[in-house]
Amino acid sequence: MVRNTSALVGTTQARPGAFGFLTDTTLCIGCKACEVACKQWNQLPMDDFGFTGRSYDNTGDLGATTWRHVAFIERVADREGRRPTRLQPFQSNWLMFSDVCKHCVNAGCLEACPTGAIIRTEFDTVVIQQDICNGCGYCVPACPFGVPALSPLDGKAHKCTLCYDRLKDGLEPACSKACPTDAIQFGPVHALLDRAKVRVAELRDQGVDAQLYGDLALGGTGGIGGLNALFILTAPPEVYNLPAQPELPQRRVLPAFLTTALAALALGLATLLTFWRTEKEGAHG
Amino acid sequence: MAKMGAGHYRQASVQVVNTEMAPGYYGLPVIHGPHWRWSIVFYFVLGGLAGGSAVLAAVAQLVGGYWARPIVRAGRYLAVLAVLPGPLLLIIDLGRPERFHHMLRVLKLRSPMSLGVWGLIGFTATALLNALQQVAEDGLLGRRNPVAHALRCLPTRLLAATSALPAFFLAGYTGVLLGATAVPLWARNALRLGPLFLCSALSSAAAALSLLIGHRPTARRAQHALERVEQVAVLGELILLETLRRSDTVVTRPLREGREGLAYTGARVGSALALVLHSIAKLLPRSPHVWLRMLGSLAALVSAFLLRAAMIFGGRRSAEDPVATIAITRKDTGSPSTAP
Repeated sequence: MVRNTSALVGTTQARPGAFGFLTDTTLCIGCKACEVACKQWNQLPMDDFGFTGRSYDNTGDLGATTWRHVAFIERVADREGRRPTRLQPFQSNWLMFSDVCKHCVNAGCLEACPTGAIIRTEFDTVVIQQDICNGCGYCVPACPFGVPALSPLDGKAHKCTLCYDRLKDGLEPACSKACPTDAIQFGPVHALLDRAKVRVAELRDQGVDAQLYGDLALGGTGGIGGLNALFILTAPPEVYNLPAQPELPQRRVLPAFLTTALAALALGLATLLTFWRTEKEGAHG
Repeated sequence: MAKMGAGHYRQASVQVVNTEMAPGYYGLPVIHGPHWRWSIVFYFVLGGLAGGSAVLAAVAQLVGGYWARPIVRAGRYLAVLAVLPGPLLLIIDLGRPERFHHMLRVLKLRSPMSLGVWGLIGFTATALLNALQQVAEDGLLGRRNPVAHALRCLPTRLLAATSALPAFFLAGYTGVLLGATAVPLWARNALRLGPLFLCSALSSAAAALSLLIGHRPTARRAQHALERVEQVAVLGELILLETLRRSDTVVTRPLREGREGLAYTGARVGSALALVLHSIAKLLPRSPHVWLRMLGSLAALVSAFLLRAAMIFGGRRSAEDPVATIAITRKDTGSPSTAP
């Protein structure tokens, strides 16, 4: 399995015309300009006004009204439990990570949607059409990354649209436009992928344990076919609350229907035989 | 206004103090859980009951003789009565109930919910036709009514046969629907949930029908047949409940703890009780042991309800558990190194 996945590193099934993000966490300074720009452009209401009391992250999670979320991960100890005594290159002892919808090549939310509200756009991004969504909520648990959420304000599901309206007008998404360090880059997925590979190699040369998240080996696994929103990480994905090798949930639909059909056959036959036996017994006695 | 996930971190921040050893990001959930609550639990139970009743009525129609008439009659009525609240329960669960008809825009073969909507419509149509024929046969539409005459002329056995497939579908697809999500408890048991719900559907329908017709002295043979079916289905249910619980200790944690754990235990005890009571009633000679049988059937019904409740609310709990999500999404290495 490990040998198989190594051949998939740096590959994606994204189509040539696909657009996406490359979020380089080594360049993120945690300013949250992306969060703010997203809220402003998309006119999203504010979240619960409170403190988590945990880190500089008072947003907590992606949600119906939060389509960019900057996570702050403090490296209190290394893997052996030792406290760090010197600052590491890039991001010191803090990991800053701007999370966003992954715009999967094969998206669980899109395949789950029973109304056809979730569509693949001409930019190969995944968008929920707000005039169609009826708030059934099936896309919410169908996403392996925990991105879509139902809004208590309007009862519908919401998530990042990759600024579909801006792309239509030839503008880049609000978050990448606002990012002061270019940690969030927007462009054609294949160009971003090439850039990411160069950057990961560069970081490795500098002694940083960097890796690409969103290819067929990591993040875009299990039938997802790659992510149109790529990330460069310097720790295992779980540290950022990202699943390492998620699976497209709809992969299980056919096998699950087959076992159910098998059970139906067995139970149907058992019922048939039981009734038939009862019929026979009556004929004899 | 608080956003949907806002409740998560308040809970987690109390539990997770040692962030160095906690997996993931401060113990926060990796995925978002479903919002489904009681209306969906009731829909799952009633859908199973309707599907199971239709299956039993169809089989009784196809191979049963005169003795099976009470099963056909009660089964056809119960199927339609149990399925009719279904669409209502589903619609009130929507975030925008007035848009329920948007479900009818598309048919998506890889979306169990889309399939389910069409399956529910198909089942309701066949169940309604069967029930209407029963109404005509019972003379409730009058003797000379041309509509009643037309309904009586419909090919009975063909009607029964066509209702069986959507009935099985309705009873089982809900398990597939849960399995096709990222929720660890459901995802890991995707292959088991459909068969489990089917067994539970058939056992609960057999139990309900034998409770409905059991008091009649003329229906002794029918009740006998129903009890046998119930025992087979309950046995299958019990085996699946046990294998599911023992399959994966990390993922099935919600089924062993808290209220969901209690409900799941209740479902297991209920099934076991149904099996034992029916067996005792059968072993004891002569007297009919009506109370034992009725208690057994009641236990099967309660078990069907508790199973759906435990599965749906357990799934919500499971989605909040980052340990379970991380465990099922790490495939190439044994244990993830979680400390940065």
